[in-house]
Amino acid sequence: MALLKREEWQGFVRDVDWTYRYVEDEAVFPEWHSGTGKVPREAWQAWEESYKVSYPEYVATQREKEAAVYAVKAALQRSSAFDGLSEGWKSATKMHFGGVALVEYAAVLAELKMARFGLNGSWRNMATFGQLDELRHAAVTTFFGHEFVGKDAQYDWTQKTFHTNDWVAISLRNLFDAMMNSANVVDIAIELPLTFETGFTNLQFVALAADALASGDVNFANMISSIQTDEARHSQQGGPTLEILVEHDPVRAQWVVDKAFWGSARAFSALTGPAMDYYTPLEHRKQSYREFMEEWIIDQFVHTIEQYGLKKPWYWDEFMRGLDIWHHGLHMGLWFWRPTLWWRPIAAVSQDERAWLVEKYPNWEKVYGDKWDVIIDNVNSNNIEATLPETLPWLCATCHLPSCNATQSRNGTWRVRDIALEYDGRNYHFCTNACRQIFWKDRDNVNHETVVDRFLAGQIQPMDVGGILGYMGLTPEVMGDDPDYEAWTRDYAGRPAQGIATAAKS
Amino acid sequence: MTDTGATAELGAEDRAPELVPLNAIFATDFVQILVPVTTANTMAEVAAAVAYHVEGKRVRALPYGKVVIYRGERMPADMTVAAAGIRPLDHVTVEYDIPEQS
Repeated sequence: MALLKREEWQGFVRDVDWTYRYVEDEAVFPEWHSGTGKVPREAWQAWEESYKVSYPEYVATQREKEAAVYAVKAALQRSSAFDGLSEGWKSATKMHFGGVALVEYAAVLAELKMARFGLNGSWRNMATFGQLDELRHAAVTTFFGHEFVGKDAQYDWTQKTFHTNDWVAISLRNLFDAMMNSANVVDIAIELPLTFETGFTNLQFVALAADALASGDVNFANMISSIQTDEARHSQQGGPTLEILVEHDPVRAQWVVDKAFWGSARAFSALTGPAMDYYTPLEHRKQSYREFMEEWIIDQFVHTIEQYGLKKPWYWDEFMRGLDIWHHGLHMGLWFWRPTLWWRPIAAVSQDERAWLVEKYPNWEKVYGDKWDVIIDNVNSNNIEATLPETLPWLCATCHLPSCNATQSRNGTWRVRDIALEYDGRNYHFCTNACRQIFWKDRDNVNHETVVDRFLAGQIQPMDVGGILGYMGLTPEVMGDDPDYEAWTRDYAGRPAQGIATAAKS
Repeated sequence: MTDTGATAELGAEDRAPELVPLNAIFATDFVQILVPVTTANTMAEVAAAVAYHVEGKRVRALPYGKVVIYRGERMPADMTVAAAGIRPLDHVTVEYDIPEQS
């Protein structure tokens, strides 16, 4: 029997839609899961992915990828490569493992939802591969992180993070629950594969792979590069979905893209920004976070949405200004509240490192230098106590990250300003105008409570630093601390220091 | 304030101090912080409570007094939180009271 040619079968094997005779279409594709909205049901018949793949092809390719990634891991496991990595780089990987491993699992659920409720057979077919991809990503990330638990207990947070009430975990759950789990499949396809995967995972997976190789972490680069090869295929679900939605409901399409881009940008400024501009050793940095964002995210994202007839989001100017601010403020926040982390944040503000920061971010000294100088002077006065937190940073009611975004006044000074909203008898505070706007538009959604909300509601007991750390699941052997204070303070040792805190008498 | 005696509710000054958690920022600090005060605290005490977490720790201490700014207004140092009408979750800024250059 002669086999059909590829072009003869690839169209109809994916066409598994039929007309239901025993139930209504709405019963099979309920609006709250399928989310067709203003798009006529029949319009989804035009959904078509550009790169088609069959199950045998998928399995063969994935098998090769798995064999390759585990072969490299097995070879490197016998080497002493891990012991030679810097603490800063190890911190970047701990952030990644804890912050990403179970997000990959949440993505399995999102893909499964599209595999069931997607409005076209081809879409459901692609999502079926997508969920297998994400299952692989969850497994490989968890497994790679697990290898190091015996060497460093902080790697235990690869699996643990998402099961805790650590504020970073809550912030990520808040973003990804909305993006992946509670949304309908039309919104998921635009938020996850299109905005998040084609946009932002490049940042974590391409940029960090380059920094990993430069830092000597071949195993990590091997892992994330392997993961990234899957994204190109399953991220195709976004394009055809957006094309159809734009045609019938461009206002919704614009809103879904805008919201997902903003949420992703906030999360990446916390995770990737410090990893690229502070944790990666100076001599191994390839590009600054801003440079990478401009080259890999912004140009590509703007090109993509304009291709589909959408505009730049309304917050574009605020977002662009934030590229010089957000991750620097968050880095300082992560460092100052370091006992709440499962990694060891290095401050990385020696004279050489500051010179690099100023070269990349001309306002850096003006906005952050004075604060770091006070911290440095306290460290050099042996007053570490003055560099440790005794209260909570205020967490934004939308993104759950600390409200630490300075903006410039007309007189040139930089200040953090209050951005508040009174709603339903309560006063909410936000880190940015766009976070406030998103909260307002989504105000009927169920939002997670921030750690500050939980603390004030009495959910955290006892109501002190110890109680907060216990609530977040931090134990003494895991709690973050700077691994080498001297590395970034020795340049300033011996200089006169006025106006610093007085060390408590012991 | 004139008490008409129309209600049985006690004025703030006659009630036990109540907790007022604030969203606060100290001068040029990089982040807003949670600072709990009470209705009985004066503005001078509020300024000190906010400064405690920041002054000399992230913002270099200056030899000036401090002033609480609430809704764009400078609050008198001896005014209480209750009298100022500051409510839980409100925002206050604490600034150094630097004299105008002559």
